[in-house]
Amino acid sequence: ALLPYVPLVPPGALPGKVTATTFTLERPRCVFDRLANASDAVWLAVAFADASTTFKNPTSSTDVPPYEGLPTARAYMTLETAAAAYSCSAPGPAVLRVGVDTACDGRAPCNGPLPSPGPYRVKFLVMGCHGPKAETRWSEPILLRRARSPSTIDPAPARRSS
Amino acid sequence: MAKTDNGIRIFQGLLILGNVVIGMCGIALTAECIFFVSDSYGLYPLLKATENDDIYAAAWIGIFVGFALLALSILGIIGVMKSNKTLLLVYIILMLITYAFEMASCITAATHRDFLTPNLFLKQMLERYENLDVDNNNDKWMNKGVTDTWDKLMLQNKCCGVNGALDWQNYTSAFRVTHSDADYPWPRKCCVLDAQGSPVSLDGCKLGVQGFYNSNGCYDVISGPMNRQAWGVSWFGFAILCWTFCVLLGTMFYWSRIEY
Repeated sequence: ALLPYVPLVPPGALPGKVTATTFTLERPRCVFDRLANASDAVWLAVAFADASTTFKNPTSSTDVPPYEGLPTARAYMTLETAAAAYSCSAPGPAVLRVGVDTACDGRAPCNGPLPSPGPYRVKFLVMGCHGPKAETRWSEPILLRRARSPSTIDPAPARRSS
Repeated sequence: MAKTDNGIRIFQGLLILGNVVIGMCGIALTAECIFFVSDSYGLYPLLKATENDDIYAAAWIGIFVGFALLALSILGIIGVMKSNKTLLLVYIILMLITYAFEMASCITAATHRDFLTPNLFLKQMLERYENLDVDNNNDKWMNKGVTDTWDKLMLQNKCCGVNGALDWQNYTSAFRVTHSDADYPWPRKCCVLDAQGSPVSLDGCKLGVQGFYNSNGCYDVISGPMNRQAWGVSWFGFAILCWTFCVLLGTMFYWSRIEY
């Protein structure tokens, strides 16, 4: 089933919401309550923007594309969470951060830092016991920050003062 | 004659008064420059690392020029009171030398103020902060100075970066090499810290939530004291030089009119 929800980066002024290797998404509330049971898991699928159209939903939880496969598969899934955590009454932070886990030890799912500025598109996927049950729409492309080298800084003074 | 005698006395009085003022200004200049050289704000390592610490050189010259002015003013007073041509000649020559040194100090301080741009400190911060992986001992020592100074600045003044915390995001840096972007979008010292020195909310700080990180830049805290120092040394020095010029002219005229 296709849910009309579109994942998005929070619109507020948070300088850390998009960095060079991470980005932040608004936490979806009440989006999956209608379709998900307590035993279902909600995953976040992250794909390069040009690979989002060719992304195939995995048929089961064991078939999920891992974080380490991002360079070749051009997509991965992460942030496996119980559907109850996204229900209307669930407490928790208002945002989800993608890319914060710098100490992944090979155990899936890994929320590791993104290797390139992207752009990326994300969607949420509800996986039940028998495979995918529902998904949201793809987000708008998210472009990460590209930092410049300090050698581009020109320290010369602009004009004479007194 | 009584009239010319009075005229001479008045002229002597004026010269002595001029020298008294020079002496007092010399003391004031020495005191001011000692205050600047003592670096109460702890900003000298930043200047040293730019290899452009001429405003400190100007302040050092100011200390010695102040002492010299004091000594020479006493010599001048004695010379004028005794109307001794030799003493006054020595006074004029030494005063001219001191004048040249003070002129150099003032011009240096005035012109080097312009080099202290935000970009200068930004580039230095990005290249030197937490950059311990250098071969040269001199560089290692300068980097340590820059790192310690920035840590102290960010803690005491609750500021981050030169223009703001986003300096750490807009540019790559030596800090970024050892501290991953995901864990450290900006240094931990930019976070609002509790009494024990750990961030009040690490996630809030990493996201940049107001109240959990310091968003304003440190440039004002750096440039304020440095500009005041450069301005103080240069313009007070120029004022002293103007006054000294008049007194020197008067003394030369007086010297030329003394008859053995």
